Amino acid sequence: MGKIERVLSLIREGERNPAEIAGKLGMSREEVEGIIKILESMGYVERIEKGSGACETCPLRSICPGSCVRKTATVYRVTKKSFSLKQDHI
Amino acid sequence: MAMKVVALAGNPNVGKTTVFNALTGMRQHVGNWPGVTVEKKEGVFEYEGQRFLVVDLPGTYSLTAHSVDELVARNFLLNSGPDVVVNVVDATALMRNLFLTMEILEMGVTNVVLALNKMDLAEKRGIRIDVKKLETLLGIPVVPLNAKAGIGVNDLKKRIYEMANGRIKTTPIVPKYEPDIEREITHIEGALSGTGLVTKYSPRWLAVKLLQRDDEVMKLVLRHLGKEKLDEVMTHIGEIEAKYGRAMDLIIAGQKYEFVDSLMHRFIRYTSKESSNLTDQLDRILVHPVYGFFALMLVFYAMFRFVFAVGLPIQGWLAAEFSDFGGWLAPHIASGALRGLLVDGIIGGVGAVLSFFPLVFLLFFVLAVLEDVGYMARVAVLMEKIMRKFGLPGKSVISLILGFGCNVPAVMATRTLEDERDRLVTMFVNPFIPCSARLSVISFLAGAFFKGNQALVAVSIYALAIVVALFSAWLISHFVIRGEESPFVIELPEYLLPGWKTLLLHSWERSKEFVKKAGTIILIGSIFIWYLSNYPAAIGTGKSYAERLGHIFAPYMGLMGLDWRAAVSLLFGIIAKENVISTYSIIYGVGGGEEALRGAMAGLLSPLQAYVLGVVTTLYIPCIATIGAIRAESNWKWAAFSTAYMITVASAIGILIWHIGLFLGL
Ligand SMILES: Nc1nc2c(ncn2[C@@H]2O[C@H](COP(=O)(O)OP(=O)(O)O)[C@@H](O)[C@H]2O)c(=O)[nH]1
Repeated sequence: MGKIERVLSLIREGERNPAEIAGKLGMSREEVEGIIKILESMGYVERIEKGSGACETCPLRSICPGSCVRKTATVYRVTKKSFSLKQDHI
Repeated sequence: MAMKVVALAGNPNVGKTTVFNALTGMRQHVGNWPGVTVEKKEGVFEYEGQRFLVVDLPGTYSLTAHSVDELVARNFLLNSGPDVVVNVVDATALMRNLFLTMEILEMGVTNVVLALNKMDLAEKRGIRIDVKKLETLLGIPVVPLNAKAGIGVNDLKKRIYEMANGRIKTTPIVPKYEPDIEREITHIEGALSGTGLVTKYSPRWLAVKLLQRDDEVMKLVLRHLGKEKLDEVMTHIGEIEAKYGRAMDLIIAGQKYEFVDSLMHRFIRYTSKESSNLTDQLDRILVHPVYGFFALMLVFYAMFRFVFAVGLPIQGWLAAEFSDFGGWLAPHIASGALRGLLVDGIIGGVGAVLSFFPLVFLLFFVLAVLEDVGYMARVAVLMEKIMRKFGLPGKSVISLILGFGCNVPAVMATRTLEDERDRLVTMFVNPFIPCSARLSVISFLAGAFFKGNQALVAVSIYALAIVVALFSAWLISHFVIRGEESPFVIELPEYLLPGWKTLLLHSWERSKEFVKKAGTIILIGSIFIWYLSNYPAAIGTGKSYAERLGHIFAPYMGLMGLDWRAAVSLLFGIIAKENVISTYSIIYGVGGGEEALRGAMAGLLSPLQAYVLGVVTTLYIPCIATIGAIRAESNWKWAAFSTAYMITVASAIGILIWHIGLFLGL
């Protein structure tokens, strides 16, 4: 199995940190992040939108001082498409 | 002569826009791709007297038909027949970039120039690329670029010019797969041969896409060759898929990636150890569940030290100004009631809160620095790690981090959680995260009663709030059984030095809202509190509404060493936490002077009492807007339960701290 499939497998098994995935597969964190982007573009993982929607509909928006944090982590969740795959090897 | 068309393709963020601008200068036009809301940018440049139309394609990581962006880019390359395709790649991330290059070449597009951008960065990171070898390997021209500095742009224009005029012969490489798959590709190619389709599209590409069950290509085959042919091909694909036991789609992408990987060592060399950059080194500590937590406390401590050191003197000065203003105004107003309302109520209440503007601004400034550097994202991940150990759903991290700003959007952000029970648990814990409104109360009390170690006091209250949140998460997870969580992965931004201009602008934007709030909610609250404190009789007589109200709760407050004044403040604090300050200010009738208020209060509250008040204010109840948000996102019962729980916990901790303090003789 190639790197792309192995990264997806590890994510499905509950690994959340690209740095740790990189450690396990012996590649750099940047490469793992690149693979996640490819997986995203193929529809195997998807980005969870941050609180932006919540901020826009918030009743306190006009007087809210502190929220809508910028530059946060990007969270990708595994999609249904991934779960249609069998997970029987690694 | 018609203009030659040049398409720019590449991953997002590789510098496509920069290349586009460098090529076309100011001559650009922005519109939309037909039928979709994807931005289409076009521009023109001239070389050797010939004009070229440059079309910027959406940035994508692959050319599957999964998203609109990909489809737009792919269809343009397939159907519009650009004269030259410039594939812009980021030299610092060649693996994923060349993956897309392979997708482009696999389509049978032959007139491709590879623009190897960000060469300066690659150089800096010790990545050495042998351009000549890369050229031979890929079979297409490669132009090294530093688009930001405009280096190599002329070379690129020259190559485009040559290619558009047929002066460059290319022999593009295409990815190879395992023998089983190659056999299948040949088979499908055979089935398609002789049909009208293969005169328009590369048969190999069609075969690969069919193997990947690409919707668009399947439709294409259906339209041109009919259902029977498609079924025949698809049955075959079903068989090979069954043999692998995994989706072909992923297997092919995987092998394409391995193919790129196998090329890498032939043209790339690392002069420094690539894997261990600063971000990775820092993250080993900052995201570590134990060291990370201590680092977080240290960072917050430093932040408060800075905010207090710089902000308190300004705040004191501002408070004195408000006080002077009140003092100046008072003799000018004949009506006693109006004077009271203006001087004690409005200037006193709103002024007390407003005098915190410098502190709030500084705090937002430091927070913005931490955000821009990339540290806040680490805090979120760290909290997520810790929270997960205490039974909280991992994805609550988004909600929790928003909570440091304001609990209301934080509660609303729980919508991103699919599981109903996850939502309830996250909403339950969220109000314990100290929002920025509580910060002004914490800094007010810390500043007034703890000369010298304000920062320590503030951090300890924050830490306590986080510990209580963790404990609550642990407790509630025993009662609300959550569903299986769908897996996810978190990508952190690289650490970066912030841009000072945006920082200042952003802190200003945020602290401006603080002033707005002071001018609306706090203003109305102050008028209301002033009224309750002066009618039907002035405060101190025991007959004012405020006192009567406060005395109802006084015995209870007594358990934690606080009196009726605290009760009244906390009651109004439910509307907005800042009201705790304005209420105190009004009750003590010290017009506008936070300095004076400190003096007045110092005699009435011991440091221990002030600390208890700070803790209780932080924990006791979500503000009314947060309760409303919880109700809206769940139901009345849950909102009521959360509120009751918070009051219970706050009281228990208040009582505990008070008695431990007494025991220790504080
Ligand atoms: N160091 C360096 N940075 C570059 C270069 N080209 C672009 N950038 C930066 O890369 C980032 C992304 O560029 P942009 O043109 O917006 O990328 P796009 O998303 O592909 O359009 C920007 O911050 C650019 O300043 C380059 O040659 N060298």
